[in-house]
Amino acid sequence: MAFWLYAARRAAHTAVTLVLLLVFMYVLFRLVPGDPTTIMLGTGELPFEAQQRLRELWGLDRPQWQQFVTYAGNLLTGDLGMSFYFRRPVIEIVWPMLLNTLVLMTPVVVISIVLGVVIGTWLGWRRGERIEEIGAILALIPRALPVFWIGIVLLALFAYELRWFPIGGMRQAFFFPETWYQELPFFDVARHLVLPVAAGVLTSMADPLMIQRTALIEVKHEDFMTHARARGLTERAQRRLARRTAFLPVLTYSAIMVGFAFGGQVLLEVVFNWPGIGRLMVNSVSQRDYPVAQATFFLMAAAVVTLNLLVDLAYGWLDPRIRQ
Amino acid sequence: MSPFASWSGGFGAIFLSLVVLIAVLAPWLSPYDPLVNNFDAAGQLRRLAPPSAAHLLGTTYYGLDVLSQLIHGTRIVLIVGITCAVLIALIGTNIGLIAGYYGGRVDTVLMRATDLAFGVPFIPFAVVLVALLGPSLWNTIIAISFLMWRSTARVIRSQVLSLRERGFVKAARIAGASDMRILYVHIFPNVLPMALLYVSFDIAWAVLAEASISFLGFGDPHQTSWGQMLYLAYVSGSIRQAWWWTVPPGAALSLFVIAVFLVGREYERLANPRLR
Repeated sequence: MAFWLYAARRAAHTAVTLVLLLVFMYVLFRLVPGDPTTIMLGTGELPFEAQQRLRELWGLDRPQWQQFVTYAGNLLTGDLGMSFYFRRPVIEIVWPMLLNTLVLMTPVVVISIVLGVVIGTWLGWRRGERIEEIGAILALIPRALPVFWIGIVLLALFAYELRWFPIGGMRQAFFFPETWYQELPFFDVARHLVLPVAAGVLTSMADPLMIQRTALIEVKHEDFMTHARARGLTERAQRRLARRTAFLPVLTYSAIMVGFAFGGQVLLEVVFNWPGIGRLMVNSVSQRDYPVAQATFFLMAAAVVTLNLLVDLAYGWLDPRIRQ
Repeated sequence: MSPFASWSGGFGAIFLSLVVLIAVLAPWLSPYDPLVNNFDAAGQLRRLAPPSAAHLLGTTYYGLDVLSQLIHGTRIVLIVGITCAVLIALIGTNIGLIAGYYGGRVDTVLMRATDLAFGVPFIPFAVVLVALLGPSLWNTIIAISFLMWRSTARVIRSQVLSLRERGFVKAARIAGASDMRILYVHIFPNVLPMALLYVSFDIAWAVLAEASISFLGFGDPHQTSWGQMLYLAYVSGSIRQAWWWTVPPGAALSLFVIAVFLVGREYERLANPRLR
C-alpha cells in the first residue's frame, strides 16, 4: 500500500474515533440530572414560564440529535460554549490553561526520556551484573509511588521546611527580583517548575528506562555490534552505537507517553496548584461547570488520539510492512 | 535465577499476606473508630496531635486516629484491587477471546472499541464519570474497570490469533466441537497464564487509580481510603507539619504497589521459562 493511502486510512480512523468520543462524551454529560436552566440558575428560583423561554432560546427544547449537531458544528468553529461559572466563552478560559499545561508537561516528558535513555543504556550494558539487577528494581520503585504523594513529600520538604522553592502556582504575584539572575525573564516561572517537574520525572522516567534497557540487551548481541567490537571501537563508542539503535522503541513510546501523561498531569497540577487544563477540569467538574469540563476532557482525549495517529504514521513511514 | 529475584518475590508475597491479614482483622486491630473524632481530657478536639502512646501515628486535623484510618484503608485497597481485577479480567479476556477467535467484522468492531478506550485519558475520564454518577466506592470501581480492560483485551487477542491456527484447535473443530467449547475449553486455558499476569498488575493500577480519584476529592466520603487520607491532609493545609498523617498512607500505597509488581514479576518468571 502506498504511504499516502495508508496515511489517509489512519487519519479517517482517527476522525471516526474523535467523533465517537465526542458522541460518548455528549451522552455522558447528558446523564446529569437537570439541564443548564436548573444548573445555571439554581432550582425553583425561576418561574416555570421563564425556564421554558430560556429552553427555547438556548435550543434545549429541540431533539437531542439536533442539539448534538449544533454542538459539534460550533466546536469545529472553535466555539466551545459559555462557561456557567466564569460567564465567559469556554475557549477564552481553556486556551491560556492549555499553554500553561504545555509549559509543565514539555520539560517532564523531555527530561524523563533523556534520563530514561541514559540510565536504561547504562543498566542494559551491565546486564547480568548484580548492580543491574538492583538498579532495575530501584528504577521501578518511583513508578509505583503515587505522583501526588511524591508531590506532597517534595512540598513538605523543599517548600515548607527548607523554603527553597515556592509552595505552588506558576508565578508569584508582585515578584521583585533582588539579584541579577532573578531578573532573567523566566526565572519566576522556572523556580515554580522545579518541584512539579521533579515529581513528574520521577514517575514517568521508569517506562522509557525499561524499554531502552530491554532494547539495548537485544541490540547488544546483533551482528553489527560484534562487527563494531571486531573493528576495535572503544567501549564508549560501542555503547553509543547500541544506545542509538535501541532508542527507536523509546521514540515510539514517547508519543504514547505524552498521551498517558495527561492523567498524571491532572494530579501534578492539583498538588502544585498549577493553573493548567487538568486542574481546570477537576475544578469545573466540582463546580458543575459542564461546558468547561466537556471542553477540557475532549481536548485531552483529542491530544491522546492525535498523538497515537502520529506514532502510527511515523511507523508506517519507517516500516513499510506495517502498511499491509 | 538469582537469589535476589526470589528474595524480592518473597518480600512481595509476605507484604501482601500481611495486608490481607490486617484487612480481615481491621476492627480488632485498630485502636479507635476511624471515623469518630477524638477529644482530650479538657473536651477539646485533638487536632493534629503528633504520635504519642495514645495515638501511635498521631491524629488528623479533624481529630481522627491516623493508625486506625490506615488499618481500615487496607479493606478499601483489597476491595478495589480484587473487584477491579476480576471485572477487568472478565471484560478484557472475553473481548480478546471473541475478537481473536471470530476475526472479520466482529474483530474489527471490538478492536475499534478498544482503540476508542485507548483514546480516552484515564484519570480525567474516571473523575468525570464518578462525579456524574455520584462519589461512592462502587462507582469508583465501575469507572476504573470501564477503561482498564483495554490492554488485557489487546494482549489476549494477539495470543488467540496464533492459538487458533494450532493443531489442537483444528483437531477439536474436526471432532465437531462447538465454537464455545473450542473457545473456553481449548483456547482459554492457554491464555490463562497471560490473563493472570495482567490481572496481577491490574490490581496495582486499580489501587493507584482509586487513590488518585480519592485524592482529587471524588472518593467515597463515607469510607477511609489511603487516597482520601492524603486528600484531606492536603485540603486542610496540614501537609506542612503533619508528616505522621501524610507519610503512612503514601508509604503504604507505594509498598502495596511495589509488592504486587514483585509478585507479578516472580509469577511471570515461573509461568514463562524463557525469561529465566
